[in-house]
Amino acid sequence: MMPSTLEHKLAKILTKRKKYKAIRYGLYIFIFLLVLGSIQTTIIKDTDWEKIGTFGTVVKALARFFPPDFSLFPHLVKPTIETFMIACLGTFLALVLAIPVSWFAAHNITPYKSITYPIGRAIMTLSRSVHEIVWGLIFVAAVGLGAFPGILAVAMRSIGFISKLTAEAIEDINPGQMEAIRATGANGFQVILYAVIPQILPVFVGNTIFQWDINIRRATIMGLVGAGGLGLTFHRQLVMYNYGGVTTVIIALLLLIAIGEVGSYYIRKAII
Amino acid sequence: MTASTLSTPRDSVKTWRRFKYPQSLIKYGIMLIILVFIAISIQYLNIHLERVLTMFGRLGNLFANRYYPPDIPYILDSEYLGYVFETVKMAYLGALFGILLAIPLSWFASFNMTPNKRFLYPVARFLLMVCRAVHEMIWTILLVTILGFGMLPGVIALSLFSLGFTGKLFSEEIEAINQGQVEAIQATGANPLKVFVYAVLPQVRVAWTGISIYTWDAAFRAATVVGFFGAGGMGWYLRRTVQQVESNRVAAILISIVGLVIISEVASAWARNKVSTS
Amino acid sequence: MATLEVKDLRIRYNRSGPEILKGLSFNVEQEDFFAIIGPSGAGKSTLIRCINRLVEPNSGDVILNGRNITKVGRRGLRKARRNMGMIFQEFNLVERMSVMDNVLSGRLGYIGNFRSFLRFYPRADIQRALELLDEVGLSDFVDKRADELSGGQRQRVGIARALIQQPQILLVDEPTSSLDPKIAREVMGMIKQMSEEAGVPVLCNIHDVQLALEFSNKVIGLQDGFKKFEGPTKKVDKATLDEIYAMEIL
Ligand SMILES: Nc1ncnc2c1ncn2[C@@H]1O[C@H](COP(=O)(O)OP(=O)(O)OP(=O)(O)O)[C@@H](O)[C@H]1O
Ligand SMILES: [Mg+2]
Repeated sequence: MMPSTLEHKLAKILTKRKKYKAIRYGLYIFIFLLVLGSIQTTIIKDTDWEKIGTFGTVVKALARFFPPDFSLFPHLVKPTIETFMIACLGTFLALVLAIPVSWFAAHNITPYKSITYPIGRAIMTLSRSVHEIVWGLIFVAAVGLGAFPGILAVAMRSIGFISKLTAEAIEDINPGQMEAIRATGANGFQVILYAVIPQILPVFVGNTIFQWDINIRRATIMGLVGAGGLGLTFHRQLVMYNYGGVTTVIIALLLLIAIGEVGSYYIRKAII
Repeated sequence: MTASTLSTPRDSVKTWRRFKYPQSLIKYGIMLIILVFIAISIQYLNIHLERVLTMFGRLGNLFANRYYPPDIPYILDSEYLGYVFETVKMAYLGALFGILLAIPLSWFASFNMTPNKRFLYPVARFLLMVCRAVHEMIWTILLVTILGFGMLPGVIALSLFSLGFTGKLFSEEIEAINQGQVEAIQATGANPLKVFVYAVLPQVRVAWTGISIYTWDAAFRAATVVGFFGAGGMGWYLRRTVQQVESNRVAAILISIVGLVIISEVASAWARNKVSTS
Repeated sequence: MATLEVKDLRIRYNRSGPEILKGLSFNVEQEDFFAIIGPSGAGKSTLIRCINRLVEPNSGDVILNGRNITKVGRRGLRKARRNMGMIFQEFNLVERMSVMDNVLSGRLGYIGNFRSFLRFYPRADIQRALELLDEVGLSDFVDKRADELSGGQRQRVGIARALIQQPQILLVDEPTSSLDPKIAREVMGMIKQMSEEAGVPVLCNIHDVQLALEFSNKVIGLQDGFKKFEGPTKKVDKATLDEIYAMEIL
């Protein structure tokens, strides 16, 4: 009986494999055709190739960005600092707001499972699914121009990331430690304080630093929708057709991001 | 609890302070510096406290009176849906080109496997760094100024974004591979390309697939807004309605963006799951 | 009056699942070191957890010094829990916290939210924690993090954490199964000695029959949720043990 069932199984697996192979190649061909079709419609048909002109004209358009307009540098100090501060304050705000969101969205400690859990998850998803530009637009509409809506937008965008990973870490904690603290007669708040927070702190801090690094990038574009920082200068140079200035702004922005990258590397190293 | 243990504590354990001389001082010092920095930033950025306090009222007002009710028929219009379709196409073309470019670049930019440490390695690293450092919206604007409006600058901007995004993660995967298999292939006298194809790719395939799916997700999020700066797709509608202060339509567009991103996220989570279990 | 009275305790984890404890009753007196023995899966841990309601029993009473714990509300339950010190098999220390803070966490039932947030404990608590750490031989480890300790040291911190609660009873769940035999005996001796000094009865789950016979004065034999044996330790003989562990041999 044994060998026959084995053979049977083997045959079954082999036919299944063949079927999978056929499906897979079919899929590849389908994807390939889809890509070709999309290239045809989006790039070839949609583009006004005459207006772009020859390769030479494109190079000429590129050449307008050089040389950089270094006379702009002194005027970039303030917006660069602003951008940096928007990123820092936004990250800080996100860190504070991510605490209740991750508390709600971790199913093992959420206070009222049927109400707070879905609320936590919803905030998390909403925060991540909306691009920072859109958050910027919303907050500029709500609170007016300036750095403040930029901070709010950056914060809104990173709450989701911080709290998603934090909530996952909370769901993975060692329940024994929670049980031990609960057994001492501690209340819910104390259990979170003593048994949950120490366990997830490294993840939380690590993610916050990671987000801070990304938030510097995000802060550089807040000015494009009127929310302060280098983006505003970038936009102004562009509408003034001062392409050399645009390049200078990009150089400043790269410097800032490099600082953030190096900084976050060292902070993470110091903490871990 | 007995009297005898209470009255005769050993000398060495008599006192204990939570405050430890250098460590605690450093800790509180750093906290103080952070708080001071926050205060200075608030001052420097001219954020007024009363604006913070009235923010919730104004946000509520914005949603309740201007955004509500969302103009749902507007986003069900076939023209809008056509733009949604364009957005999807831009996103996956961008992700695809980005990923394809990332395969060689991440190979060059991985410290352990790069075919040339002197030249290719730093150049590839630098290219990936620049792609990642410059925000996708800045790429979009730059490309729109060079190439004009349309989907082409959008696709290129998304490709650069995906390249930066994927390249770093890809090369980190390469740097974490098992060297044993590499040495086994090298021992046969294979050239670097063969080593890459036969020793590296099989090891990173699964991780790369997961990262690629994630890249598609990120690219789609970005694609919903590149149109805001003239690069095609539904973002263009967002710009138009925002500029004309058609708030109910803005709300409807926002709903469509959130809905689509959630769909794409669910789909990519499903796909990633499928990849990691198969 | 007995310190702890357990009457007809019953529990099942899922409504449709099997009954894990099938009507248990026993009394723990002031001077008892009570050992609960039985094969794996008999429900020993479940019994201990039911007493401080880390697991809610379905029916039955748990009465500690005249207070019926199964009937109290949330606040009352917290008060009741701080009167019961618990020691765990896996130690369950908060790994990323210092030894001192782990011991002090035994006082959480007595201090408010604000104090616990700032970790600002009364002087007397700190003093008591130092004494207890001295008694368990860890005065040199006060500021070490719990994850830097060995298994035996961790369990000694667990003992200090349970005793700083000034409990009326110690609930102990397999305190030695994660330790090697020599350390296990030391830890058992420490629990016995310190509970006697504090005048606290002990209810202890224990897999190792040898240790149980050595340290306890009373034994309950549990099998599949039933009480198979109850009596003074000296009455336990080979036949009783064979009966209690009958399931395990099968
Ligand atoms: N959380 C739970 N949910 C469902 N069933 C459980 C749970 N905990 C324990 N059980 C079941 O209850 C029964 C008794 O478990 P318990 O842990 O009390 O046994 P034990 O006597 O302590 O065994 P051991 O000596 O292995 O620790 C077992 O059959 C177990 O499968
Ligand atoms: Mg057990």
